[in-house]
Amino acid sequence: MTTRSFTRTPRTFYWMVMPAVVIFFGLHTIPVLSGMFFSLTNYAGYGTWDFVGISNYINLFQDSRVLSSYTFTFGFAIVSTILVNVVALAIALGLNAKIKFKTAFRGVFFIPYVLSILIIGYVFNYLFANSFPAIFTSLGLDGLSGNILSDPNFAWVGIVIVTVWQAAAFNIILYIAGLQTIPAEVYEAAGIDGASSWRQFRSITFPLIGAYFTINMVLSFKSFLQVFDQIVALTAGGPGTSTESIAMVIYRGGFQGGEYGYQMANAVIYLLVIILVSFVQLRFLQRKEASI
Amino acid sequence: MSVGLVAVAATAVALSGCAPQDDGVVTLNFFQFKPEAVGNFTDIVADFEAANPDIRVVQNSVPDPDTAIRTLLVKNKVPDVLTLNVNGNYGELARACIFADLADEPVVDTVNPAVQQIVQDLGTCTADGGSDGDEINALPFASNASGILYNPEIFAANDVEVPTTWDELIAAAETFQANGVDPFYCTMKDAWTAGPAFVNLGGTLAPEGFFDDLRAEGSDLDKVSFSKDFDESMAKEVELFSYCQDDFASRDYNAGNKAFAEGASAMYLQGSYAIPAIRANNAEAPIGSFPYPVTDDADDRVVVSGVDVGIMIGRDTPHAAEAQRFVDYLMSPDVVQAYTEAQSTFSPLKNAEPNADTALAGLEPYFSDGKIIGFIDHQIPASIPLVNLLQSMVISGDSEEFLRDLDSEWSKVAARTATQRQGK
Repeated sequence: MTTRSFTRTPRTFYWMVMPAVVIFFGLHTIPVLSGMFFSLTNYAGYGTWDFVGISNYINLFQDSRVLSSYTFTFGFAIVSTILVNVVALAIALGLNAKIKFKTAFRGVFFIPYVLSILIIGYVFNYLFANSFPAIFTSLGLDGLSGNILSDPNFAWVGIVIVTVWQAAAFNIILYIAGLQTIPAEVYEAAGIDGASSWRQFRSITFPLIGAYFTINMVLSFKSFLQVFDQIVALTAGGPGTSTESIAMVIYRGGFQGGEYGYQMANAVIYLLVIILVSFVQLRFLQRKEASI
Repeated sequence: MSVGLVAVAATAVALSGCAPQDDGVVTLNFFQFKPEAVGNFTDIVADFEAANPDIRVVQNSVPDPDTAIRTLLVKNKVPDVLTLNVNGNYGELARACIFADLADEPVVDTVNPAVQQIVQDLGTCTADGGSDGDEINALPFASNASGILYNPEIFAANDVEVPTTWDELIAAAETFQANGVDPFYCTMKDAWTAGPAFVNLGGTLAPEGFFDDLRAEGSDLDKVSFSKDFDESMAKEVELFSYCQDDFASRDYNAGNKAFAEGASAMYLQGSYAIPAIRANNAEAPIGSFPYPVTDDADDRVVVSGVDVGIMIGRDTPHAAEAQRFVDYLMSPDVVQAYTEAQSTFSPLKNAEPNADTALAGLEPYFSDGKIIGFIDHQIPASIPLVNLLQSMVISGDSEEFLRDLDSEWSKVAARTATQRQGK
């Protein structure tokens, strides 16, 4: 205790956060640290191990499979982030306008976020394999009658479709929250000045929800870099290795392939990449935000 | 802080479970890898428990056993008794000394030595100063065989004989195609289903000692390599898959079993293990089998056979005596026999009755005569995405790219494991 006498309130706060800190440290931080430790060994996940220094990291940068998984994951994350934010912002604008059954629509658009992504993935897997080809065949579009997931060049499109369908819901909620912070007076003033609705969106709406745009971009990009579940359900990394994400390579090599130490090195690099990307995104986008 | 620590400690105690039992009944944790055999093992366990009231056996079956067993090992939780598919994964675990040595078990003498050899070849534990192959870490409970399944009714209707040479096989496929019948039903949505053809064609045509030479080379593949020694066999695999039905890339294994059961194709490139799954769709499905005719000499034909189910005991189990009693019961002739009939497998016991299943009649003589080779994919480390590369190959039809990729994956893994312990 210092001479500054604490009131009771701060101590209560300490007791409130302490369990969370302990649990987080025990279940998250310690595994992370042990993973970092094993990235310096040749541990297979069982049995004995030896220190191998940084040779895992050196081998990592020569591994074409790892490099192609980074290419795939970044491409996927960029495309999905753009699409999710465009779709979510458009729907949020619609749901924020004066329309009938607004609450019901909001509920409907939020449903995909509540469902498990694995379940959605398996349902879409069935749709891609059976329903969509049948629909396109009956429409006479034979070019689309195959299963998109079994084409090495286009399987990623199927994964993007499912991802956007599921992930947009969360971003819609954030955008709606942002849109409700804009006072109606500014729109009235713009309307009197004769601004078109596109002009109003460009000059008023978008700048004023800048902070929400930033957080949506950062959060969705981060979660798409970690893409795993929907790929397991849709393609299992196939056809071939054309849709293997970084998380999938780590899981397959580390837990199935007996290269635990090597893939832990991959995971450490992956962690640094995600932190770096999120940090750069924040710095870049926050400079563009406006406020009233 | 201290409150938090107490809470964590309390949780840890609660999670460790496994409280000692007062009634003298020992509980064995039985890891059972085969989802389609849960029913069979439930019956076996019930009979065993009835005869041994002092032992309770808890069967655990999970969807992805190879991954599940590794995650259990990471947590140092080896089950008391296990069944596993005896493959490359098993070999890695056996060399890591996860399983007890069963060499002193009396049931060892009842096992067919050719089958036990397939198990031993994958690797054994050498912890206690023994040399490789001294310990017996797994007993074979059921063997499978990989060949080509065919529909005898469709063969008869099109006047096609069972092919005995490669040219006859291609001629048969041409005949079916000309008559508007799909020669093969392929299921490339599931990457692994390109594997059976790989092990049959590659295994038969690979030079003697290929994998030993390959391992001896380390990471630079100049003397032997997949590109040099597998070019013919992989060209043949691509040729076979050119006779698949149109939507072969988007169908999965379950759809294939259903389609073949309903007579959608003349042949099906799957091993004996697919037979129960086919019959589940249609109990009366007409099924025959023949070994892959890989060359133009009918005498070259062999059957690829692996140990579909092996039985192990955890090396450090606290209930070794009870686990042994359970394993002895599992390996008793009546239990093995009943299982082979139910699951269309081959009995690994000496003096076993030949399997009377007509679907296996084409493969049975090869198994009995010991004309069997092991699965070559068990020689390829699990960290190489073999089945995914195979899937790419049969979809694109480019066997040269596949062989280049496989060589580069092999040499990368060889370079990475150069630092790995040998025989520790």
